[in-house]
Amino acid sequence: MTHVSSRWQRPIAALAVGAAALALTACSSDEEPTPAAEGGGAAQEITFLTHWGPDQVAQLEAAAEGFKEIEPDITVTVQAVPFANLLSTLRTQGGSGSGPTIASIYDLWLPELVRDGVAAPAPDDTSSSITDAWPGNVVEAASKDGVVYGFPNEVDLYALNYNTRLFEEAGLDGPPATFDELVADAKALTDAGAGQQGFGVITNWSSGAVHPFLSLAASNGGHLLDDSGKAALTDESVVAVAELYEQLLADGSIDPNMSAANANTTGPFLDNFANGKTGMIIMANWWQSALKDAMGDAYADIATAPIPVGPDGDTASSISYSWLTMVNGNADQGQQDAAWKFLTYLNGPDSGEAGSSAMGDILVGMGILPSRTSDLDAHAEALSDPFLAAYVDGLADATPFPTVIGGAAASEALQKHIESLVFGQEGAQAAMEAAAGEVDAALAAAGN
Amino acid sequence: MTVMLESPGRGTIRARGVPPTARRGTAVKRHRLAAVGFLSPALVLILVFIAVPMVMTFWISLHRWSMFTPITDMDWVGLDNYRAVVTGSTHLAALRNTVVYVALSAAITIPLAVLLALLLYVPRLRGRGLVRVILFATYVVPTVAIVIVWSNLYAPSYGPIDATLSALGVTSPGWLSNPSSALISLVIFNVWQMLGYYVVLLVAGLTQIPEEVYEAARIDGAGPIRQTVSITIPLLRNTLVFVFLMTVVNSIQVFDPVYLLTQGGPANSTNVLSFDIQRTAFQNGLAGEASALAFSLLILLCLVAAVVSKGLRRRT
Repeated sequence: MTHVSSRWQRPIAALAVGAAALALTACSSDEEPTPAAEGGGAAQEITFLTHWGPDQVAQLEAAAEGFKEIEPDITVTVQAVPFANLLSTLRTQGGSGSGPTIASIYDLWLPELVRDGVAAPAPDDTSSSITDAWPGNVVEAASKDGVVYGFPNEVDLYALNYNTRLFEEAGLDGPPATFDELVADAKALTDAGAGQQGFGVITNWSSGAVHPFLSLAASNGGHLLDDSGKAALTDESVVAVAELYEQLLADGSIDPNMSAANANTTGPFLDNFANGKTGMIIMANWWQSALKDAMGDAYADIATAPIPVGPDGDTASSISYSWLTMVNGNADQGQQDAAWKFLTYLNGPDSGEAGSSAMGDILVGMGILPSRTSDLDAHAEALSDPFLAAYVDGLADATPFPTVIGGAAASEALQKHIESLVFGQEGAQAAMEAAAGEVDAALAAAGN
Repeated sequence: MTVMLESPGRGTIRARGVPPTARRGTAVKRHRLAAVGFLSPALVLILVFIAVPMVMTFWISLHRWSMFTPITDMDWVGLDNYRAVVTGSTHLAALRNTVVYVALSAAITIPLAVLLALLLYVPRLRGRGLVRVILFATYVVPTVAIVIVWSNLYAPSYGPIDATLSALGVTSPGWLSNPSSALISLVIFNVWQMLGYYVVLLVAGLTQIPEEVYEAARIDGAGPIRQTVSITIPLLRNTLVFVFLMTVVNSIQVFDPVYLLTQGGPANSTNVLSFDIQRTAFQNGLAGEASALAFSLLILLCLVAAVVSKGLRRRT
């Protein structure tokens, strides 16, 4: 019988190895930062952690080469990981001084990184230059308690994407501007026999499920959290969005089986829209390049419009979020100084083409809105692209996603109940009540 | 000096001038020292790679920790993380999903593997070697590569499976896109991927059954079914137990297809324990809660192992 028991050593060992990974992570985090390097003349090697693809990494490496001509003693190495692994890489390496010196981060992660001392505050002169060159609301997203922690780069927000060919075939002359019009248009666009849904939602991906839902809520006067930091999901303005989903489902205008996303944030939801099987969908500006790749010539059929406004709202408002590049507070002072120098160059007006920063060029190449004021000017022509124009116009009225510790877990809690609603497991009111309870619990568990 | 001398053909004889009790005690000590010496490398490895991490996991499970700070800088929360594990609806759903996944995988894989192994063991079957290679190939190919194929097979509406069903006038269950079918879809994927491995194990087990037993049974008038029921299955028992345990162990560890295909959704319907531990620790920064979940799973596994082991001992 001993051989039977020994079979169970494998899962136990697997768990132990997993625990060892955590433990080794812990040990690596235990490393004391080395004392500040004397002087600025010593050669420095710094690493830049990003989730960008090969093309953007090549552009970033080219910028690093350009920087080396100015600062020959500083070598920048790019470390690229898939988006889904970016945060876990930061958790396993960021707490150590030998981890990435620079990291591209989602603003939602900033409060936790600041609390734990991983994000270094920008030096005074760098902070001033950031404050001067970026819009105030963008700088705010890269700050905590008035202290700037990094260079803001991309800004993302949502808009209604629709297929003009399907609209014409359905006899519709323009995109919906209100919830009621959205319901009516989605119904007109739906053709179950042809496998065509009027309005597409996204599941299996937290931001994909939550941000469009909250954009509709924001356009109806609703919010995820109230002023005291508690979930505001049972507010009538938010429940109305859940009821809007219920109505669209009841009409057959949403086909839940066409909604799935995969780990690469693509999958059936994208394929169905690209294949002309989804009339409308609410999505972010950054998927423009994915749409172009997937649709080819048919991309010409795609147009964008503001988020439809609800009965309790007065203007279209999209959820917005931003990314920034931060410097590892556990790196030694010489590396930190070198990192701030490189970021100043990368985000400055001399590193790119025609007055743009190198960062601005990289972002616009991906269909992403840059945030530096001079980059917006330098890329004015590209940003007047009909697809992006609606997003640029929406910047002024955007509602930033709350950046609180535990925000990711709170977002997952809401995602679960939005998906339960979409698949008919919960009603609108019940889903929002359950989501509110779990959002509050998630925020409390994170230490809020 | 104490020694025991072996005298071939005469048994053990005592060395002259040394009291027998003292000699025996010294010999035992030397045996113990030798045992310790030989076992030390293995014991050190077990201690470093299994015992220490297990103790550390338990220690971390009593704290709140984001992994961004040194391990010496954790907040003590006592048993709060264990309370969160047993009361959190997401964690309980993950446990439920894991149990269903394991049970379905074992219930489908093992009978199917036995059936295929019996068919492939028929001596006169042509091309059985090729079939074995094809079956085993699914186990050899990395999951990531297979997932690319299956994500397209399962694609709603435009995927080949749905296209075929549609042509036949059958409504698609939604596969990975629907909470009621997503977990079963992952089980089908698991069965497809692992079946060949278990078939090869069972065929190896079948080769260990002496042909004389079948010959005697045939002389006694036993037909193919009687031979299978009364000879093959009972004599394959040890291999079957091994296959059962491997199925359970592999199924409990499922992570890749969940991570790549569904991310635990939709509506948490495919959120299994290993994925839940990863998400809790690395996405939500709750390494203490994730450790409590891992340690609870360890205790659960030990209990299951004890029950299975006891049951088998009784039968033996």
